[in-house]
Amino acid sequence: MEPPARLALVDLAVAFAQIGLNSVGGAAAPLRAVIVKQRKWLDEAEFAEIFGMCQALPGATGANMAVILGRRSGLLGSVVAVAALVTPSMLLAIAIAAFATHVAAHSARFAAGETAVAAGAAGLFIANGARLAWALWRAVGEGDRVYRAIRLAVIAAGVVLVVGFRLWIPAAVVVLVAASLLADRRTGAPK
Amino acid sequence: VNEQTLFTLMLRFGTLSFFAVGGGISILIPQIHHEVVQQYGWLDERSFAELLAVSQAAPGPNFLIVPLIGWRVAGWPGAFLTLAAFLIGPFVITSIAAHVLHNHDSPLLTRLRRAFRPVTSGLWIASGLVIALTVDRRPVELLATLGVCALSLAFDLNPVWLLLGAGVVGSLVG
Repeated sequence: MEPPARLALVDLAVAFAQIGLNSVGGAAAPLRAVIVKQRKWLDEAEFAEIFGMCQALPGATGANMAVILGRRSGLLGSVVAVAALVTPSMLLAIAIAAFATHVAAHSARFAAGETAVAAGAAGLFIANGARLAWALWRAVGEGDRVYRAIRLAVIAAGVVLVVGFRLWIPAAVVVLVAASLLADRRTGAPK
Repeated sequence: VNEQTLFTLMLRFGTLSFFAVGGGISILIPQIHHEVVQQYGWLDERSFAELLAVSQAAPGPNFLIVPLIGWRVAGWPGAFLTLAAFLIGPFVITSIAAHVLHNHDSPLLTRLRRAFRPVTSGLWIASGLVIALTVDRRPVELLATLGVCALSLAFDLNPVWLLLGAGVVGSLVG
């Protein structure tokens, strides 16, 4: 790959601030909209590759993407891109939280609404996990029964270990990733 | 601001950041809840639910709950330093990976990413269940969890509308 063009720091900052403020339920859509469609810094194929890499590395995908795009303008570029991604939405969230705390102190109804939003967020997490489980189930062809069963077992083990046994989540992550990698290797995971 | 508290916040969230695998931090929410509410007693259940609600309903990356907790526990220094501690580890790892791996599609990363998927799926479901078990104290909250889950699965609606809807129903029932 030829060395990509340097990006002006101000462009990086504006683009990633925009991505941060448009991130709702995941950064994938705004990342693609700004980086591929609007700025044309990457084409679809490059974006898919780098996005996949960012998902495979620890940390939030959006922040990892900011690090990688920012690198085109050096270390400072990475710092600027990450700071732009997180700072405006953090300030907004803190303002909302301060306001919410103030209102909730005076209104029991508002406080009840807040708790219902948190309860709704739990439902959202369950739905996201279930949707991914369904996608994984459907992605594997009928012939790969063993592979499919193992993946379902990893999903079920995650639920049982964390909800049933209250296993320390970092430990659950390590154990499950190891089991999943081992299973992929043993069964010759299909693409 | 208590320096010891700031240091502990940074250390805890810095450590957790390495376990945010598969792209998001939703899988870590029960762990964050355990540490912040039970282990260190920085927040009560209500404050935690409030910050979780704001972090999910406000526009922004899904890890906004991290600086929000830092802010609530230790003010502005807490917000910035906790967030910085949470970002620095993955920042360094991603920089090194981008430097070392010229081919972004390396077989190692592809294998890792594939292995992460069922792990993330199970831990997302687990995360939702654990949060529901702590937050859902009354029928209306159980209704919010089940309703948002069902509507999201059935219609794949924008999550912000679902959460705001849950909030309106919750405050009307009171």
